[in-house]
Amino acid sequence: MSAVALPEIPPARARGESLWRKAARKFARDRLGMVALGVVLAYFVAAVGVWLGWWAMGWPDLTGTKWEAVSGTHWFGTNIIGQDIFDRAIYSTATAFEVGLIVALVATAIGAILGGFAGFFAGTWIDEVLVWLMGVLDAIPFYLFVAAVAYALTDNPWAMHVAMISTFWVGTGRLIRGEVIKLRGMEYVEAAHSIGVPEVVIIFRHILPNTSHILLVQASVMFVGAIKAEVILSFLGLGIKDGMSWGLMIDESTKEVLAGFYNNFLAASLLMFGLVMAFNAVADALQDALDPRKVG
Amino acid sequence: MALAALVAACGPVEQPSGARPATKVFRYAMDQAPTTLDPVQGANIYANFVIVNAYDTLYSYKYLARPYELKPNLAADFPTIAPDGLVYTFRLKKGVRFIDDPAFPAGRGREVVAEDLIYSIKRQFDPRNQPQGAWLWQGRIAGLEEWKAAGSDYDQPVSGLRALDSHTLEIRLLRPYPQLVATLAQGFAAVVPREAVDKYGKGLGVRPVGSGPFKLVSYDTARVVMERNPNFRQEPVDLAYEGYDPATQAFSGVEAIQGRSPPFVDRLEFNFINEPSASWTSFTKGDEIQYTVLPIEQVERVLASKRPVTLRPEYADKYHIYAGLEAGFIFTAFNMDFPDFGYNPDPERERRNKALRCAIIKGYDWQGRNESWYNGLGQVFPGVIVPASPEFDPDLSLASVSRDVAGARQLLRDNGWTPRNLPKLVYGTTAGTTERLNFEQFRAWMGDIGFPREKVVQKTYANFGDISRAWKRNQLPLVAKGWGLDYPDAENTLQLFYGPNGSPGSNDANWENPEFDRLYDEAAVMQPSDERTRLYRRMNQLVIDDCVAITGLSRTRIYLWHKDVIAVPDREILGGFWLKYADVVPAKPAGLTSRAAKGT
Repeated sequence: MSAVALPEIPPARARGESLWRKAARKFARDRLGMVALGVVLAYFVAAVGVWLGWWAMGWPDLTGTKWEAVSGTHWFGTNIIGQDIFDRAIYSTATAFEVGLIVALVATAIGAILGGFAGFFAGTWIDEVLVWLMGVLDAIPFYLFVAAVAYALTDNPWAMHVAMISTFWVGTGRLIRGEVIKLRGMEYVEAAHSIGVPEVVIIFRHILPNTSHILLVQASVMFVGAIKAEVILSFLGLGIKDGMSWGLMIDESTKEVLAGFYNNFLAASLLMFGLVMAFNAVADALQDALDPRKVG
Repeated sequence: MALAALVAACGPVEQPSGARPATKVFRYAMDQAPTTLDPVQGANIYANFVIVNAYDTLYSYKYLARPYELKPNLAADFPTIAPDGLVYTFRLKKGVRFIDDPAFPAGRGREVVAEDLIYSIKRQFDPRNQPQGAWLWQGRIAGLEEWKAAGSDYDQPVSGLRALDSHTLEIRLLRPYPQLVATLAQGFAAVVPREAVDKYGKGLGVRPVGSGPFKLVSYDTARVVMERNPNFRQEPVDLAYEGYDPATQAFSGVEAIQGRSPPFVDRLEFNFINEPSASWTSFTKGDEIQYTVLPIEQVERVLASKRPVTLRPEYADKYHIYAGLEAGFIFTAFNMDFPDFGYNPDPERERRNKALRCAIIKGYDWQGRNESWYNGLGQVFPGVIVPASPEFDPDLSLASVSRDVAGARQLLRDNGWTPRNLPKLVYGTTAGTTERLNFEQFRAWMGDIGFPREKVVQKTYANFGDISRAWKRNQLPLVAKGWGLDYPDAENTLQLFYGPNGSPGSNDANWENPEFDRLYDEAAVMQPSDERTRLYRRMNQLVIDDCVAITGLSRTRIYLWHKDVIAVPDREILGGFWLKYADVVPAKPAGLTSRAAKGT
């Protein structure tokens, strides 16, 4: 009697592994991506602490005297009116996340929906109108557009968000439109048509979920873009109206660096640099991980 | 060819006779742009600086005399005054002409006559012009109010304004007005030709037609460019008459203008640079601007000492400096027309409002502001009689400018104010970093006395013109502003709180105190005297006691200018009048200096 070695059967889990699971595994192997994710999470924790009121709530208070140097009391020193720069920098992290998240989520959603409709109805008047709208919005210089919106919505704290969302969705819309044009000719969509599934349901239930890898990457890119735009707009006086941001801190520092005081400038610039770099690295790693050509 | 090359290498060592002299340009800088150049609305220093150079006023100030002294400008001399002080007779210089302009027949400027001055004063009482200078003569010159009430018809006479002949003007007053001559040195009193108003209408605001030392070339929000008025009257400078003090002013090189007729530069540029750091860069990097106020962030780097103010050697080699306390102040008035703070139909609420205002004043940290923004060089003082006024009282109690947070909180508690029922404080500012930080500082101080953060809010305006309009239209509850004396008399700051001067007049607080107004009327007809000073000080105390304004601080102005500019700059009472005396040493053509130095 001889033993017969049975062929090893791979676990069913591995055979049927989803694209998301594969992407997660791939992302986890990306060291730079993981380190960057850790950095982003650290910033996020700082932002959550601000939202919960755990720290940096004293950012507007006059806790010191003019231009105090770095000390145990004021880790990054104080500004011209004696406000603690560390508190202001940490509070600004929350502002960055707030703007980044709101703009990225809303603009991605709008881009997905309008891009989805344009793609699904490609060649019809709906597509023509939406493509025309994207072209118009693309044609307006971004900062002029923001200035116009800021002026139209005088004193409205959401003016900057509205302006960013109004323009940021266009890129996502174009990508999704292209992807949907590809997907709408696939068999499963035609099958849905043939059994009478309403078009709106086809778009939202069967097509858009299959563009989620694009949306995720686009959202991460927009998140970084929104943070950078917020800093620039706040520096120009078109951004944050009532609050604190790295852009406002850099704006303040334009006077201070001339007096040889760099704390505001360094704190805001380095913190913004760290977050933007880290999020860029995360976005790159995500893109690699979710690229169907690589993941498949 | 070799000879030609040799000649070219040697080059000319001096300009050939008859060569056109280099154009002399003085590039001045201010932190804001004027919103109009029409004297009828020229309510701020930015407009005034340009207006007094485009137009003539009957009087101006001696260039170098300190304390300031009036002198005739378009007037031939000082007026003759009737014994009762009610009739002034002015004689105008003859032969003074407006600039050539299409508004005049054949485009040639005509002679300035007494009727022009009458017309210009009438304009301040024509509501169609939205005038801002009427407060200078309201209730003073006979017949003006009636003329206004009758529809402001320029063809109708005003009983108190009469041209005795083409060059003699008579002004009849309702009551003595010792400051009348000084008011005729204001931009509001600039002499405007009727033809220009008829032709350009509101366009006069961007196209001045005057008889001043310069005429406008261009005007936008970044720059005003003017060029010398070639027909400006010849009036050689007499430095002794102008009040020249060699001990303190010789450093400026101003002796070089003795005996010469202004204006001395061919082109005058006003550059409007809002950001002090940008202004400083333009000033130090070359000749982009030749004058600047020293930005506060540069004080430590540029000054060798603060008391007295001196420059470090590397700057002293290149620039002249002047430092002095401004003839004015900064303050924040409560707009009493807002029932949340000021007058209220409910007497009990009005009483509590006063306590609220007093508490806010107690919470305000003048010393903190002085240290943050003025390097501690400013002078904090109580009330509205500024240190530069002859009537200033150095012994007045400093209680109203001393921070007392505990006292403020107690006052609020005693009068039923809680964080829940405190009204919203809307703090208007122009857009800018400094202004935002000013607001944050104010909000923090108010937070210290109990104001919730969300109840102290900032309202921003794009520029000074916009916020100025908001003040005039009575739209802001807190009016944070600066005021420069128009003439060296405390009446000029006290009138900021005189009831009849309410919005759109100069009384932005819209405060009406019968005793104050009575004392003001009483003092207004008095010549300078101890008794008048006593009345002024009593009025000052009323402003303090009624907690109608958070006041005040006079800033130390530090001016720097390039050493190729011959001038003694001033931004105070003298205003823009000094610019016609500014001269610039022309730059020598490149190469000429070195060769000349070698003796070739």
